[in-house]
Amino acid sequence: MPDAPLGGNVKNSGRIGLWLGRNWVLLFLLLEVVAFSALGTRFLTLENIQNIFVACTVVLLLGMGETFVIITGGIDLSVGFVMGFGAVICAKFMVILQAAGLPQGASIPLAALICLLIGLIPGWVNGTLVARLKVPPFLATFGMYGIAYGFSEIISKNTPISGLPHAAGVIGNEYLLYIVPQKMVSFLVRPQNITRLEMRSMLAIIPIIVVIAFIFVGVFSFLLRRTRFGRHTYAIGGSMDSALRAGVNVTAHLTIIYMISSFFASLSGVLYVLKYVTGRADAGSARMLDAVVAVVIGGASLYGGTGTVKGTIIGALIIATLETGMVNLSIPYHNRYIVIGGILVFAVVIDQFFPELIGRRD
Amino acid sequence: MFGQGLTQQNKTAQRVLLYIGERWSAFFLLLMLVVFSLGAPNFFAFKNFTNILYFSTTYALLAAGETFVIITGGIDLSVGFVMGFVNVSSAIIMRNLHAAGHPEAVSMLIGAAVGLALGVIPGLINGLLVARLRVPPFIATLGMYGIANGVALNLCEGFPIYFLPPRAREIGNGFLAYLVPGKGFSFFHRPQNLDAGDLRALTGILPTTVIVTVVILIIFAFILGRTKFGRHTYAIGGSMDAAIRAGINVPGHLVRIYIISSMFAAVAGVLYVFRAGIGNFTTMSSSYELFAIASVVIGGASLMGGKGTIGGTVIGILILMTLQTGLNITGIPSFYRYIATGLILITAVVIDQLTPERRTISA
Repeated sequence: MPDAPLGGNVKNSGRIGLWLGRNWVLLFLLLEVVAFSALGTRFLTLENIQNIFVACTVVLLLGMGETFVIITGGIDLSVGFVMGFGAVICAKFMVILQAAGLPQGASIPLAALICLLIGLIPGWVNGTLVARLKVPPFLATFGMYGIAYGFSEIISKNTPISGLPHAAGVIGNEYLLYIVPQKMVSFLVRPQNITRLEMRSMLAIIPIIVVIAFIFVGVFSFLLRRTRFGRHTYAIGGSMDSALRAGVNVTAHLTIIYMISSFFASLSGVLYVLKYVTGRADAGSARMLDAVVAVVIGGASLYGGTGTVKGTIIGALIIATLETGMVNLSIPYHNRYIVIGGILVFAVVIDQFFPELIGRRD
Repeated sequence: MFGQGLTQQNKTAQRVLLYIGERWSAFFLLLMLVVFSLGAPNFFAFKNFTNILYFSTTYALLAAGETFVIITGGIDLSVGFVMGFVNVSSAIIMRNLHAAGHPEAVSMLIGAAVGLALGVIPGLINGLLVARLRVPPFIATLGMYGIANGVALNLCEGFPIYFLPPRAREIGNGFLAYLVPGKGFSFFHRPQNLDAGDLRALTGILPTTVIVTVVILIIFAFILGRTKFGRHTYAIGGSMDAAIRAGINVPGHLVRIYIISSMFAAVAGVLYVFRAGIGNFTTMSSSYELFAIASVVIGGASLMGGKGTIGGTVIGILILMTLQTGLNITGIPSFYRYIATGLILITAVVIDQLTPERRTISA
C-alpha cells in the first residue's frame, strides 16, 4: 500500500529520496507542465487547462475501470473496443429513438442508459470467463477485444453513425458556467445576444463532460477507498487464497470488477458520442494502451494488490498534458505513442528496481 | 491420471475423447473445410486454396515468432507494429534508392536488408527489458507496441509509401510455376503472348511469398523441435528455475527469443512490401497481435509456457484464414471474423483448462 510504514531510522536524505521516488509521477507531471509552458505559447491559460481536462476524460474513465481490474491482479485489454462498442450502441439508439419520434430530452438520456446497460454485457462475459472458467484475464479480455470490435463494425456497418439529435453535441461541448466580464454569469446556457467583443472575452468554465466524468470517478473512488467492496478488491489482488479463506466471494466479486471496467468503457463511449456527435467502432481503439499506462504510472502493480484512483488521475493527466502540449508545439500527433510507450516501460522498470520507493513491501 | 477402475469400454471412449481433445484444432480445421466446401459455392477451388495460403503468410510469420515467445511463458504484443515499422522503413529506402536512379535489384535488396536489420532492434530492446530488467513481457512489449507504431507513423507521416521499384510487386505476386491448361507451363516467368482465353485459364501454382514463408517455418520448426536451442526454449517455459539450475543462460536465451519474434515480424513486413508494392503502416484496429496470439493458443500452446509447436500454430492460422475466406465467399461481412476469432480463442483456452494436463512438453 502506498503509505506503508517503512521502518524508523530512515535518514533525512533518504527520506527526500523516498519522497521523490514515491512521487516521481507527480514531479513528472509538474515537469511536463513547466516544460510545455516554457516552450509553448499560451499553454497555461484557462482555456488550455480545460482542454487538458477534456482530453483526459477518456483515458481517466477507461483507466478507472482498469484500476479496479489491475488491483485484483487482472488486466482488461478490451476497454478500447468496448468503448467503441458503447459509442456505436449509444449513437445507434439515439438515431432509432429519434426516428421513433421521441423528443431530444428523452431520446438522449434513454439511449445513454440503454448503452450503459448493454455495456455491462462484455464485462459480465469477461468476468464469468475469468472467475468461473479460470481463463487467464489477458486472454479472456483479448477475445472480447476482437468480439466487441467485430460487433461494433457490424452494427455501424463500418461507417460512423450520423443523424444524431442535435442536443447531444450541446451537452458534450458546453460548459457549466459562462462568465461575461462585468455583465453576466450564466449557468449551463451559453449567453445569447452579446456583442462580438463580449463573446471574445467570455469565460467558459468547467466543461460538462469533465463534470460527468469526475462525478463517476468520485463515486467509484469512494467505493474503492471507503467500503468493504474496496477492501475486498485489494484483498483479492494481495492474495487470492487468503481472500478466499477470509470468506470473500471471489467469483462474484471478480465478475463485478470486470463489469465495472466495461461500464466505464461504455461510459466513455457515451461521452464520445456526446462530444463528437457520432458513433465509431474505432472510437477507443488507440486508448487501451493509454488506460493501462495511466494505471501503471499511477503506481499500480500488475501483480495486483496496489493501485489508487489518485494515481490513475495523475497518470491520465500526464498523458493528456503530453497530448495537449504536443498539439500546442505542433509536434506530429503520432509521437505521443513513442513517449507513452517509453513512459510505460520506465514506470515498470522503476517499479521493479525500487519496490521500497513505491511502497510495495514484498 | 484416470483409467483406474474403469471398464475397458469406458477407457476406450476416454482415449478417443482425449485423442480428439488433443487434436481438436486439426479436426476443427477439417470440419470447417468440409462445411465451407459443401456450403459455399466456389470455395472448393484451387485458386481459393491458393488465396488462403497467400493471405496466411503475414499472420503465419507473426504467429511463428509469437510461438517461440509464448513457449517461454512470455508474450509479444508488439509484432503487428514492428511489422509496420519495418514495412515503412524498407519501403522508404527502396523508394529513395529507386528515385536516385539505382538499379531496381540493388534498391530492393538494400531496402529488404536494411528492413530486416532494423527488425533486430525492437526484439533486442524487448528481450533486454524482459530478461535483464525483469519487466513483465506483457508491459515491455506493450511499450514497444506504442513506440514502434509511433516511429512508423513518424517515418511515413501517416501516408502509404508509393513509387517503389515496379519489379517489387511482380516478385511479391509471382508464382513458382504458371500453368496454362492444355498448353504447358513455365517456371517463375509469366508466359508471354497469351490470348484472352488462355490468360483467364492461366493458373499460378504456389505464390513466391508462400514458398518463402514455408521454408522459413520449416527451418524454425526444426530449430524448435530438434535442436538444443529448441529444448532450452521449452525448458525455460516449463520451469525457469529448473532451466537456470540446468545451466541454461536464461537471460541470453530470452533475448534471442524476443529477437526471433521481431525478426519474424520484420520478414512479414518486408514480404508485405513486395506483395502490396507499397509501404504502409499498421493501423490501430488491424489487431495483428490478436490473430497471431489466437492462432498460437488455438494451436495448443499454453500462456503458462512450456507448450506449443509451429505445426499447431500453422493449423491455428489456417483455421482463422479459412474462416475469413469462407465468410467472404458466402458474403458475410468480414468483420464477423473478429467475433469468430475472439470466440475461437476463448473456446481454445476453455478447452485447454477443462482437459486434464497430459503433457507438459511436446516437440
